[in-house]
Amino acid sequence: MVEVSMASAPAERKSFWSKLGPSNKKVFPWVLMAPTLIILVGIGIYPFLYALNIASQNIILSKPYIPRFDVGLYQYQLLMHDPEFWKALRVTLLFTIEAVFIEFWLGLGLALLFQRSIRGASVMRIFILIPMILPPLVAALIWRYMFFPGAGLVTHYVGGLSEWLGFGQIPFLSDPTLALQTLIFVDVWEWTPFMFLMLSAGLASIPRQPYEAAEIDGASAWRVFWTITMPLLRPAILIAVVIRTMDAFRTFELIVVMTRGGPGNATTTLNVLLTKTGLEFFDASKAAALSLLMMMVIIVMSFVFIRVFRSKTEVAE
Amino acid sequence: MSIITKYGFAATIAASFVSVTPVMAQTEYQKKFEGVELNVMNPAFPQFAALWKFLPEFEEQYGIKINVDEIPFDQLRQKSLVEMQQGTGRVDVFAVDVMWLAEYAAAGFLAPVKQYVDNPELTAEGYDIDDFLPRVLSGTGVYNDTLYTIPIGAGPVGTTFRGDVAEAAGFTLPEKFDDSFTTEYMYEAASKVHNPENGMIGFANVPGRWFWGVTYLPYLYAFQTPETKGDEYVGEDWKITINNQHTIDSIDYYVSLKDFMPADSANWGIGEATQLYQSGGAFGVWNYQDFITGFFEDGGNATINGKNKHLHTPAGPHGVIDPWFGSWGMGISVDTEKKEAAWTFIQWLTSKAIQERAIEFGAGPSRHSTYKSETVAEIAPWWTDTYEFMLTETNPDERIRTPEWAEISDIMGEEGNRVWIGEIDAAEAAANMEKKMTNVMRRGGYFIPGRTDLPKQLWRDLTYYDRLPSEWN
Repeated sequence: MVEVSMASAPAERKSFWSKLGPSNKKVFPWVLMAPTLIILVGIGIYPFLYALNIASQNIILSKPYIPRFDVGLYQYQLLMHDPEFWKALRVTLLFTIEAVFIEFWLGLGLALLFQRSIRGASVMRIFILIPMILPPLVAALIWRYMFFPGAGLVTHYVGGLSEWLGFGQIPFLSDPTLALQTLIFVDVWEWTPFMFLMLSAGLASIPRQPYEAAEIDGASAWRVFWTITMPLLRPAILIAVVIRTMDAFRTFELIVVMTRGGPGNATTTLNVLLTKTGLEFFDASKAAALSLLMMMVIIVMSFVFIRVFRSKTEVAE
Repeated sequence: MSIITKYGFAATIAASFVSVTPVMAQTEYQKKFEGVELNVMNPAFPQFAALWKFLPEFEEQYGIKINVDEIPFDQLRQKSLVEMQQGTGRVDVFAVDVMWLAEYAAAGFLAPVKQYVDNPELTAEGYDIDDFLPRVLSGTGVYNDTLYTIPIGAGPVGTTFRGDVAEAAGFTLPEKFDDSFTTEYMYEAASKVHNPENGMIGFANVPGRWFWGVTYLPYLYAFQTPETKGDEYVGEDWKITINNQHTIDSIDYYVSLKDFMPADSANWGIGEATQLYQSGGAFGVWNYQDFITGFFEDGGNATINGKNKHLHTPAGPHGVIDPWFGSWGMGISVDTEKKEAAWTFIQWLTSKAIQERAIEFGAGPSRHSTYKSETVAEIAPWWTDTYEFMLTETNPDERIRTPEWAEISDIMGEEGNRVWIGEIDAAEAAANMEKKMTNVMRRGGYFIPGRTDLPKQLWRDLTYYDRLPSEWN
């Protein structure tokens, strides 16, 4: 009896591990994915649920003496009735759409240009990529000094030229409309190289045969661009635009360094508002609600992009 | 005016070593702190830079190492609060602006210091807490009758003008606190010398939205009548009262100084305005008295040094002069385990000897003995004529000391700056301020019926602040 029981214990252990082994085709893939899933839950799902929990309370970190209680959806309701939120959303969308639109067309133009054989193309490519390589904070500081009132390179020369022409000084960062456009200009300077890089890779992956067929058929360059290049470039465009849109939507360093959301609140984006709410007023619950709303907006925007591009790709196919 | 030059520093330092009270002696008890390291968080301001020149002496005398974390002023509150609410005690000593004390103290982030002041093993006999000006000490460090910080300096906000430029234009500027220096006078004087084509603007103002809580306030106050003083922000029932004609007039006046400013100045902070003045491009500029040595009289700028007239902010149309004072106190984190070593550092830093010696490098006084010092009168005479004002006129609560001040200040700056850029007019700004500030106070629980633990409105009876420093808890 004793011998039997001793022999059965290792057999049971073996059967447990064998259940997780490669022979179990249902469970084994999950075993392999487990570490990744655990990390995903830890850094993605848990913080999301935590933010949901905080957003349903009234936590102000700098006022620990205020009693904490559940407020349901009150923080979202507050934001929905806050003109500052809507203004920041408008500014964010304007910044994102305008910047990404310009970056896309400039990047595409450069990518098409560099498809041709240009002397010194490899060196020029490196120079084009420099703005993207710079840390955003450094880029923002460089431009802040370029636009420094009176003494910056841009304000001095462009402002001087403008005065010479009789238009007076240009309030690059002091006029509400111009300040946002100045920020967009700097964003375009910094991130057009990214579009260029992504779209160049996309162009390089397009096969030559459709172009040769079009050449034989005598199609114009314009027609070739719209009927061959653009449809075949769509997957690369989708990736580049979605990544840049998400990134532009969250732009922070550039705005904080150059205008800090001013003048007034003309350049206060949702991310700047979030920082003010969370790290200046320490209203953790309102900030959590705001960040969840921002996440929703990004998801919706990405979803719309993907749907539009997919439907167009299907039509093209 | 006798301004010390860089070349004269060495001689003056040597003289100060022998002429003033010796630094605090280390007690037997304090020897156990040898080897301790303290982390200090403070703003990147000239008065702190002046004090830090003496750190090697402290480290040598006490064996305590000081790590200074110098933060830009506009980020300091945020960084301090992040550290404080984490409760790690990583930062042992915080520099606390008078306007943030209520917020930090109400949240329990600072340790009361009276127990250390009264402990002879930690505080040298000659420390003499009653040597501090009562309003400066209580205004800087007392919240709910409890002492949390010790001031390293305090001073009023004012204006600095180029006396030589005024004389060249055929007029002489009035003296500090003179009733004839009014808002109207200031505008006219600036107009007389305003000549941007020749590189001289009338007044370098600070319209950036983050600075209104410091730079616009003196005008908000100056535009009150003697009857409305004290009601600038809130009434006795804590209801916001800022939407009134005095506020509108003060915003209009502040924005009228735009007439002298370059087109691209809406985001200007203290740095931009001061730089322009330092380069000789402006006739007048905002000042804080603790910055005078560091910014205007450091001996290294021949364009302006010795040519300045340091005045108060102008009196308003009803003769009201702003009683504003700013100050910085050093407080101990409630979470640090090195409180006694931290106090050892604070009592050394705020001692008579260090305070007097640091004046020449740009620190400000907060002690009777420093104000009355002949050395100070010689090297920084603008302090001597401020003594009476700091004793009797000044109001620590002009920026109401409630935990909500940071938000109130932000609202004021945002709406004011919108007027500056022409987005709205002063009347709309005042109405928006009232609405937004009311929301802030509502969230702070000020309108809960029957609530009895609201802060006291101490600015209505300033005798509260006149208690002897040693009498606080």
